[in-house]
Order: sequence, then C-alpha cells, then structure tokens
Amino acid sequence: MIYGDRATGVLVHNATGRQGAFHLDLMNAYAREVGGRGVVAGVTPGKGGQEVHGVPVYNSVKEALQEHDATASVIFVPAVAAGDSIMEAAHAGIELVVVITEHIPVHDTMKAIAYADLHDCVVVGPNCPGLLSPGECKLGIMPAHLFSRGNVGVVSRSGTLTYEVVDELSRAGIGQSTVVGIGGDPVIGQTFSDVLARFEDDPATDAVVVIGEVGGNLEEEGVRSTDLAVVAYIAGVSAPPEKRMGHAGAIIEGGEGDARSKARRLSALGVPVASRPSEIPHLVRELL
Amino acid sequence: MKLLEYEAKSVFSEYGIPVPKGALVRAPEELTPHLPELGSMMVLKAQVDVGGRGKAGGILVADASSAVDAARDLFSRTIRGVPVHEILVEERLPIEHEYYASITIDRSSKQPVILFADAGGVEIEAVAQEDAGAVRRVTLSPLLRDVPPFLLRELLGDAPKEIGPIVNRLYRVFQEKDALLTEINPLVTTPDGIYAADAKLIIDDNALARQGITVNRDLSEREREAERHGFSYVELDGTIGVIGNGAGLTMSTLDLIEYYGGKAANFLDVGGGADKTRVCHAVRLLASVPSVKVIVVNLLGGITRCDEVAQGIIDAGVAPQVIVRMAGTNEEEGRRLLAEHGYRMVDSMDAAVRAAVEAAR
Repeated sequence: MIYGDRATGVLVHNATGRQGAFHLDLMNAYAREVGGRGVVAGVTPGKGGQEVHGVPVYNSVKEALQEHDATASVIFVPAVAAGDSIMEAAHAGIELVVVITEHIPVHDTMKAIAYADLHDCVVVGPNCPGLLSPGECKLGIMPAHLFSRGNVGVVSRSGTLTYEVVDELSRAGIGQSTVVGIGGDPVIGQTFSDVLARFEDDPATDAVVVIGEVGGNLEEEGVRSTDLAVVAYIAGVSAPPEKRMGHAGAIIEGGEGDARSKARRLSALGVPVASRPSEIPHLVRELL
Repeated sequence: MKLLEYEAKSVFSEYGIPVPKGALVRAPEELTPHLPELGSMMVLKAQVDVGGRGKAGGILVADASSAVDAARDLFSRTIRGVPVHEILVEERLPIEHEYYASITIDRSSKQPVILFADAGGVEIEAVAQEDAGAVRRVTLSPLLRDVPPFLLRELLGDAPKEIGPIVNRLYRVFQEKDALLTEINPLVTTPDGIYAADAKLIIDDNALARQGITVNRDLSEREREAERHGFSYVELDGTIGVIGNGAGLTMSTLDLIEYYGGKAANFLDVGGGADKTRVCHAVRLLASVPSVKVIVVNLLGGITRCDEVAQGIIDAGVAPQVIVRMAGTNEEEGRRLLAEHGYRMVDSMDAAVRAAVEAAR
C-alpha cells in the first residue's frame, strides 16, 4: 500500500455535513472490516462537542490533535472554505490531506497546495474520490465492495470511471494494491508522476493502470517518469474539441490535450492503451 | 468564463494598464459623438467571442469621415456565424513594436506561469513552435503578491523595462480576478507610451459568484433547465440519451456508444451526490428531446446512492426506454426498487451501451 495503512488515524473535516457524516460512517465500517483505526475525530468549526456516528467532533484540527493521534485528513468542506481547511490541516501537522470537495476556485487550490508544500503535507485532489488500499485503509468515498486485494495499482483523474475499472479488474480476478483518484481539476496536489513514483517503491505493486482524460499532458509526463509496467485508458475520444482559450495554453502544452492524440503518444511510448474499460483486465494480464 | 475585449480592457484599465482611447457602440449612429476624441484614423473591432476575429473580417480600419459607414458595414456581418451586436471603436495607435505577454496556470508545476515574447501578434503560436526560445516563461509561487524584480528581468530580457510594471499589474489582475488566463497580444510600444492593444481575460467558473459575475449566456430552453439543476449538459446530434455520474464515466459512456456504432444525443453528468429529485429531472429532461429514442443511465455509486437514483428514475415515469446500469453504495436496494417497477437493468457498461445502440436502430 501507499499513502496509508491500518495504523493510519484519520480526521474528517465537516463531519457534521450530510456527505461528511455519510462517508465517515462508511470509512469506519471499512476500518472495522479490515481491523484498521479509521476516522478518530471530526472537525467542524462551531460544532465541537457533538458526535457523528460515535465519533467526537472538534472545533479545529488543533483541538482534535490534542485528544487524538491522526496523520491524515479527508475534506468534505464546501468549495469556498475548502482551501482554508487544507491549510489548517497542513499547519497543524497533518501529513496527508485528501480533498473530496469539487468546484474549489483554482487560485484557492494553488495557494493551499503551495502552503501545504511548505509544511511537507501531501495533498490528494481536490475534486477526487480519495484512495483505497484493499485490506488496509480507505480515505474518501470509493465504494469498497468493488475492490479486491492484489498487486495492480490504479491511478486516475476520474471518480466513477475509476470504480468502473476497479469493478472490471475485480471481476476478472485481478486484485488491487492501492487505487488513487488524483482528481479532475486543472491543479491537483499529487499528479500521475507522484503516484507512480510511490507505486515504484511499493513492493506490493507489480503493474499500474493509468486512467486519463482530455486536457493537459500529465498522463504522458507520468508514464515517461516511471519504469513500471503500465496500461493506460484515456476517456473522451468522442468529445468535441474544446473551445480555445487564448494562446497561452496551446504554447505551454503544445496544443495536444485531446484524448486521441494523448492515446497516440502513450502508444508511441510502448504503453498498451485500452479502447474501452472492459479491455483493461486483458491488457493487464498480458503484463503480469 | 471568457470576457469580451472591451470588458477585459475595462478591468485592465482599472488596474492601471494603459489601453487605447475607445468607445463601445451598439448602433452606427452612437459613434458620431465620440469621433472628436478618436483622432483621424480608428480601428473598429466586433465584440464577439470568436478566435481569429481579424482574419474572419471582424476588424476594420477607417478614417473619421468613413467610420460611421464602416460601423454600419460591420454591424451587418456575422463573424464565423456570430452576429455583431457591439463594436469597440478605438484610436489607431502609431505602433513601433509588438510584444506578447500572458499569465496562465502551469498544471505541471501547479503555479502561475508568465509568458513573454519579443515578437507579438497573430502569429505567436507559430513563432513559439518554430523557436522554443522565442517565448520566455517564468513560474512563481502563488503565495507571492508581486512578481519579484529578478523574475521580471529574466522574463523581459532586452525589452523596454517600462513593461515590468505592466506585467506586475497583469499579475494582480490574474490573482484578484480569479483568472485562468490574462493575455495582452499585442502589447505595443508607441512614441508616447506602451498600450494593451488587445486584451483577453478568462475567469474561473468556480469563482464567478465571489467575483460578483452573473452569466447570461445564449442557452437553449433545455440547457437552461439543465443549468438550473446543476447538471453538466452538452447537446449532441445523436439518438441515444446519456445520463452518467462523474465527467469521466459519462465521457467514457459516450466513447463506448461511438465504439459500438451508435450516436449519443447528449452528455449529461448529474454530478456527485445526486438525489432522487435531480435524477428524476435528468431523465425527464432527456425524455423531452424529440430525437432521443432511448436513454442509458450509467451510474456508479460513491458519493451517489443507488437507492436514491432508482427512486428518481421511477418518479420520472418514462419506463420503457430507460436502460439502467448501476453499481456502488446501496446497490442492492436500488436494484430491488427498479426490478419492482419493471425497469431494464443490465450488469455491465458494455451490455448497457450495446442494448441502447440496438434499441436506437
């Protein structure tokens, strides 16, 4: 596993919100199943002293850490305040922040990630489903019953498409070491390169599925940076070309963020590229 | 959201970036009172959100005596299919040199990146492709409020140092207006100063509310309805309606429809945590499109609960032509509800799409 294991203590930010409470409960159900510590405390400013599904809630990360031992945070805070929550966690000494929230203004994300960097805090997301290491820990909202333990890592920009691929792998008898949703926003904390570097150091991972989308060129950057056996799938080949956004994007990214040319460039690097999700297990098996 | 040139110039001007003297007109006659301040030669620029506007006939040059006629001509045109409702009329600058300056986000380093080129103008992308060194770039920490002088020196090279403060103001615009892109192309030197001859400003859609911007786009009735419910919705020209959750899975469903030889009628992402009311609205929305013969619902629960989705589909009450594929949180309950009401459930994405392509034939 990478990022976390059974011993990882977790905080949930906005544990008193509808989604926060719902997924806190599911994360702890998974922790009980695998014998992990799971969510040890919730944080919602102004709601300190309450309990959510038996988990105590505090007004701040600092207060929570005075009573509990935690190294990871999962953030369900609304978009306007999510950047602040990331910085609060990093400032208080949290080592890993998983940001589920979508629609965070990108300038907030950039600043929060830069601030977290200064505190050696790793950010996964935003706008992501989190991560899950079968048999070890679940940080986020992934539906655990689709997963099975094994030696294939998955890293993806998507949420639900990741579950689709995991489902296909599990049905084909191919288990996963860790599945990481890095998020679909233009600026994200952990990129394909970062996650692939962790997989490379992970003795439990023998091959990785990379799931990309239209836009940017981080999939290619990641695949170039690793020696691992990789299978790729890129969503969006049927998407109409995006509206142009001035010249700057085209100059920086070489103007080739569309799915088809991305898939072509990955193929040219010798990476098997699946034409649909159900083809992935077959391609993975050929590598193992 | 992309602002029009005159809106962007008004923001630039607020931040102390010099722009040419100009006037916005919505009819040819409105130009007459502005003529004295615009000099002997002027440039008329159609305010349309179209790339390659100049080449498409959206920019005219005229003298004071012919300007009103030129405006009339321009108002009668459509620029790449877009009608002209507003024209920005500006003094024609005595240009000595054209530069290029822009600020955007570098996804790879997760920081703002400033680009600058000594040769600005319409051919900037070709210039960049031919000579990688022609466009200089610097990235800087988003925690900085100003561009440090050493970075400005690196960026500008031998260009006039008076451009430095303009780049700094452009960076302020970028930060304070939640911009995804600010671009000046060309940034021109003239005998009496430096001007932003054109201006581009794209605001982050996720920041429109705090920027106090309300969007008034040209939407169809259905697109408006979709926006009201918070769906990400794009109309296409096929016959298979698609409802998915999450952009990736929905996109992948569209790809699979193409793979099996069908044509999608739309892209509709109901988003995370969709409740039964929203799913019901989504199904009814697609059922109201005349060209839609069959609807594929492809949902994987994470933050979405399958029982809620099932109830939403049932509430919509358009039974026969909905093919459902679901897996995830509370899946069994969702499956049971749908079966009770006679809906067609399939077990895989491939099977759902194949069935839909078949039904649409």
